[in-house]
Amino acid sequence: MKKLLAVALGILTAIGGFLDIGDLVTNAVVGSRFGLSLAWVVVVGVVGICVFAHMSGKVAAVSGRATFEIIRERLGPRAAGANLVASLAVTVLTLVAEVGGIALALQLASSVDHRLWVPVAALAVWLVLWRVKFEVMENVTGLLGLALVGFAVAVFLLGPDWGALLDQALTPQVPAAEGQATYWYYAIALFGAAMTPYEVFFFSSGGVEERWSVKDLATSRLNVLVGFPLGGLLSISIAACAAIVLLPGGVQVDALSQLLLPVAQAGGKLLVALIIVGIVAATFGAALETALSTGYTLAQYLGWSWGKFRRPVQAARFHVAMIVALVVAVGVLMTNVDPVAVTEYSVVFSAVALPLTYLPVLVVANDPEYMGEHVNGRAMNLLGTVYLVILVVASVAAIPLMIVTRAGA
Amino acid sequence: MIASDLLDVPVLDADGTHVGFVVDLRLVLDGPPDGPLARPRLHGLVVSPRSRSSFLGFERSAVRAPWPVAHLVRRRHRGTFLVHWSDVASVPTPGEAADPRQEAAVVLARGMTRYDARL
Repeated sequence: MKKLLAVALGILTAIGGFLDIGDLVTNAVVGSRFGLSLAWVVVVGVVGICVFAHMSGKVAAVSGRATFEIIRERLGPRAAGANLVASLAVTVLTLVAEVGGIALALQLASSVDHRLWVPVAALAVWLVLWRVKFEVMENVTGLLGLALVGFAVAVFLLGPDWGALLDQALTPQVPAAEGQATYWYYAIALFGAAMTPYEVFFFSSGGVEERWSVKDLATSRLNVLVGFPLGGLLSISIAACAAIVLLPGGVQVDALSQLLLPVAQAGGKLLVALIIVGIVAATFGAALETALSTGYTLAQYLGWSWGKFRRPVQAARFHVAMIVALVVAVGVLMTNVDPVAVTEYSVVFSAVALPLTYLPVLVVANDPEYMGEHVNGRAMNLLGTVYLVILVVASVAAIPLMIVTRAGA
Repeated sequence: MIASDLLDVPVLDADGTHVGFVVDLRLVLDGPPDGPLARPRLHGLVVSPRSRSSFLGFERSAVRAPWPVAHLVRRRHRGTFLVHWSDVASVPTPGEAADPRQEAAVVLARGMTRYDARL
């Protein structure tokens, strides 16, 4: 019974933890412009993050090594250093977006300008990083993030033409008003939102934090294989809400408040309140994860002691790195940049940086010296290699498409 | 001297012809006990003709998966050989470049033997 509860808890937190500001914004933007014609990308992205998280979780459980320790060991200091710079830049950019997301969500709840909320949000994130135990932190934000199920409820309450929605999703077509390049640009953005690199740093380092061993492999696999697809379903329901209400009205999403229009229409104030709780929890949880990921990557590369299982005094540089990242995030947000615009860039740059971390994980998951008898099987390697190709193509195409489409304008 | 003084450094043969880059060091543990392991001794350098990039572990012939990655890495490093430490004539002295315009290099002895670098 206790074990069953633990498994259920893991799955629920994986659902709630899957969504972050990148998923929220990108799915709403895509839904309002392309309907459900890009829903297939969410499916491709979710399978991808399952493959990637499963492999890195397995490596963490079997070898006790987190992703960036492996990158450093396998690529050597120079190549791994370049990798670190790119990964860290994307992770800090994502942190900026998440902290901005918390502030925007609090603005929705309070009508106080989001710039006033930014320092408060960052301070709250830091306090949790400093004081709260890893498991508690994970479970609370994950469970509260489940409030985003409200988006799925809203889809039902809106009573859409299911046939038309299904048709959009299953026979994807580029809408007449949009260009081919823009369609593919948003496909990459959506893919990057589902597969952000920080999720893997966090997932594998979290495995070390929670002292996973080979025994825990089955549980970790179940969490990923059930939790992430359900999280992906929530992503699609955000896009569906936008497709049902905003697309026919010709409303283009460029603010977080517009995510709430379909929800308000479907379920009134109560559902809006629920969704705001969900957005705060999801962005807060993701801000914790991205802040931790900056500490994890830097500390693992440089060989510092790291982890929340150590007291801050025993992992001082790890904690300082996270504080610096949060100060940078506040500084960037204080320049009056639009957090939604930051988010849109962060998901695309995530797609650019993904192969850098994916390749070493794929290689080490096949290395008997690390993995012993737990090396990847043939089917897993086939899937892993297919995704390597997809990731490289998306990574190479992202920047040219960004230039050609003027960032999806 | 530390490993970083050798890794990634270009390698010249006795006539000054460029033969590759040091991509790895081979150590053997046959010294007296030193902590949990025997003290390591430098056995030789792994020299790859074209690339300074990492072998990603594919220098071990038993590691072949995932096939496309293994194939590409081996192709990039084809012709890689091992030279024994005794066949190394000179190494760059840290912080003392003979000619600042020229990159420091490892120079191999005349009549050195190229061994198969596979494990």
